[in-house]
Amino acid sequence: MAKMKNTRKLSDMVYACSGIGDCRIAYRWAVGRYGVCPVLEHSPQFDPFYARGKIRIAKGLLEGALEPSKELAEVLYQCTTCGNCHSACHQSMCEEIVLPISRFIDHVKLFEAMRADLVEEGFGPMPRHKEILESTRKEHNPYMEKHADRVKWIPKGKKIPQKADLVWFVGCTEPYRQPDLAQAFLKILEASKTNFAIIHPEEWCCGSVFFRTGVWDMAEELAKHNLEALKAAGAKKVVIHCAGCYRTIAKDYAELFGELPFKVVNAVELIRDFMKEGKLKLKKLDTKVTYHDPCHLGRHMKIYDAPREILEMMPGVQLVEMKRIKEASWCCGAGGGVKSGFPELAVDIAKDRIKEAEETGADYLVTACPFCVKNLQDAAEALNSKIKVLDIVELVAENLA
Amino acid sequence: MVSVLKALEDAVGSEYVSDKDFITYAYARGIDSALPANPPDYVVKPGTTEEVAAVMRIANQYKIPVVPRGGGCCLTGGSKPIEKGGILLDTTRMHKILNIDLNTLTVTVEAGITWAELNNKLNELGYYTGNLGPGSGMSAVVGGGLSHHSVGGGGGAKYGTCTEHVVALEVVLPTGQIINTGANASVYTKEPFCRFGFGPDLTGLFLGDNGLLGIKTKATLEIFPKPPYHAAKTFTIEEPSAENAAKIWLAWRRRGDLGIYDSQWWPLIMVLGLQLLLDVPPVKPWVGLQKAVFWYTMEAETEEQLEANMKIVDKICKENGCTELGPELKDGNIAKWHYEEQGHWLNWHSLWGGMGPGSIPLTTEHHQAIHRVPYISKKLDEWEAAHRAELDANGGMQTGISTAILCGHTTVEVDSGLLAWDKPEYREKNLELWKSQIEMLLREGAMPYMVGEMFSKGLIDTEAFNGTYYAFLRDVKRALDPNRILSPGKFYL
Repeated sequence: MAKMKNTRKLSDMVYACSGIGDCRIAYRWAVGRYGVCPVLEHSPQFDPFYARGKIRIAKGLLEGALEPSKELAEVLYQCTTCGNCHSACHQSMCEEIVLPISRFIDHVKLFEAMRADLVEEGFGPMPRHKEILESTRKEHNPYMEKHADRVKWIPKGKKIPQKADLVWFVGCTEPYRQPDLAQAFLKILEASKTNFAIIHPEEWCCGSVFFRTGVWDMAEELAKHNLEALKAAGAKKVVIHCAGCYRTIAKDYAELFGELPFKVVNAVELIRDFMKEGKLKLKKLDTKVTYHDPCHLGRHMKIYDAPREILEMMPGVQLVEMKRIKEASWCCGAGGGVKSGFPELAVDIAKDRIKEAEETGADYLVTACPFCVKNLQDAAEALNSKIKVLDIVELVAENLA
Repeated sequence: MVSVLKALEDAVGSEYVSDKDFITYAYARGIDSALPANPPDYVVKPGTTEEVAAVMRIANQYKIPVVPRGGGCCLTGGSKPIEKGGILLDTTRMHKILNIDLNTLTVTVEAGITWAELNNKLNELGYYTGNLGPGSGMSAVVGGGLSHHSVGGGGGAKYGTCTEHVVALEVVLPTGQIINTGANASVYTKEPFCRFGFGPDLTGLFLGDNGLLGIKTKATLEIFPKPPYHAAKTFTIEEPSAENAAKIWLAWRRRGDLGIYDSQWWPLIMVLGLQLLLDVPPVKPWVGLQKAVFWYTMEAETEEQLEANMKIVDKICKENGCTELGPELKDGNIAKWHYEEQGHWLNWHSLWGGMGPGSIPLTTEHHQAIHRVPYISKKLDEWEAAHRAELDANGGMQTGISTAILCGHTTVEVDSGLLAWDKPEYREKNLELWKSQIEMLLREGAMPYMVGEMFSKGLIDTEAFNGTYYAFLRDVKRALDPNRILSPGKFYL
């Protein structure tokens, strides 16, 4: 019988699932819920492709009725860990009613624990994740790029301090793949006349991909390193734009190490505050935008209002919401290691979101996560969509007065 | 058995067949954790009626049992193999809305669509199915609801069981033949509008059949405009609350159509249990409440009609020990949440279906005539007293009525059952006590609808059916399913 020690620690979650299956396709229009699992429609739709089946597998593994296998692992890794199943499971979405089971199951945590056990049993992560692991071991980033190149995105001649009360944790995706986003946020920070630092060369990958895919020893190693580096920089507040890094540092690091010695905020919260304080002046636009909630920012960290407040404060910007937003928002398809492990699946899911955004008639699909931007852009391109996918930092930076 | 796998792959496509252990294991249960996990040999997910028929022909050729399954929400063992192995046929890929006809006020759907997905679409047009299926309607599908005469998902007081509003079915028979019933039995039917005609009501043969006689692949249901006005009120109700609730319901029914859409009675033990058994009471406004609860929702075409009916209904409530809680949910008015936020689909399965890790519901829910509710409540109390020591020794099981729901002409769904613990050392006794309560209730005239394995066997074990009836049922089954392919084991058939 497989040990499944990480899953076993969460066995209360496994045995709390009564198997109703609302995690498959629940609809409750009064609370804006239209469907649940983004993977399901792009899979053979057997139960293990959504949460109930995965939890039943967990039970089978714990009781010795099942043994882990390569094929089982492939199914468990075809999950974006978006957490929509958790939001649908026994959730009243009403303050006055707290359904008993909803307090006992954290689906994302359980699925990540199952993945960690698969890694220990030799069946995980997926081959592409192993390449990412090797790259990160050597160069501290998942993109097979040189560590020294992490700061190539910084415009020539610009010097950014390495110590300040406010430290910006830049992440890997923007420096290596989407420098425009990092430059946009830099422009905003400078426009606000805020002192800040970055911690290069001590900034390493935050470990998100390893937390999500069950490679927990690597995740912990990276977390320890970054925590020490942030402390050494004298950080009182850490600002993070990348939603994945933000979730990882604010939530995973805190779960690993206890209360962090600094406050962690997301860029959208900081920008919102800058705008409220009058630190940013913006040009008038005449455009219609819709907003996509990144799972790591929304469902995982409950930041729903700050980006919307930014958009509403932008002169001439009209925010039109998609049908599925906030707690019931539809995942872009990139998270949980799916973009790297199953790229076609990731884009197929993102196409659903692009079509939904098109229905609003918006000119821009705005989000707040470089990973969502990339995957949604890939889908928009594949669909030959006219809608332009932008990160909120780009929209703000491009329209600074 | 490689040839079976190959034949199934040829029938539905290799992507939609699996014999992988981790796939089949996921289908070894419904919501019936007290029963043994019985994985099928194969899970198939057909996408069309013809593919369902092809699976049935293969099953007959190889003499392999088939269990149809929709959302997998049966609490009594109806949506998984009763005996190990065989083919589990999952209908959920077939979930299209085929036609909404506002001339005949019907909707035709593939039977694998959930009640919630269907009603979501109808709601956009200002319509609904009236009865909204089972309490698990966000997961349960139309085919499963029709197989169970489902009622718990809302609208039962006004519209009765969901099966009362079926106009036509498309059914794949156990032998793989495809038939159309009701309005569609005639090839000359222009559109399905009425179930009754063309001779005997063969549609009824497949309603409430628990997947025994055929696989429903399409269904045409009546739809109704959602009335523009509604009211929702929640009361405390004095003891003896079962008697008071029954008096109210019967008094309402004797007055005729008052527009009551839903009504429930929550016994004192349930209201207290929610506060005492859980560290976080689920209904915040009920904290400190020391009385049983009674509520109703009502619909009307005009404000005047609503006011007039409410006056009559409230007077009857007041005369029978009811005191209204405030108008909002924060005041304790759970009826408002049920009606306005689709709380009905979280009512039983999700809201009270489990109290925490390892707890499992062993339902004995059934229908009773309204006036029998106090009596059956008393019989359940007597059963508990007689078994209290055994219940305590088996992990501290709880038993009683969680809710009773007005759900038909003079019928009440009594949600009785046991709350047990899913531990190996308790499993045998869990089953024994479950069976014991089922048999007591059947002998007291309970009419189960979600019969699954437990009630269907209980009906035979208690000799509830007289010999002639059971022989007739067996003959019907043999005529339709000569090789005993479909859902073997239910009713011991």
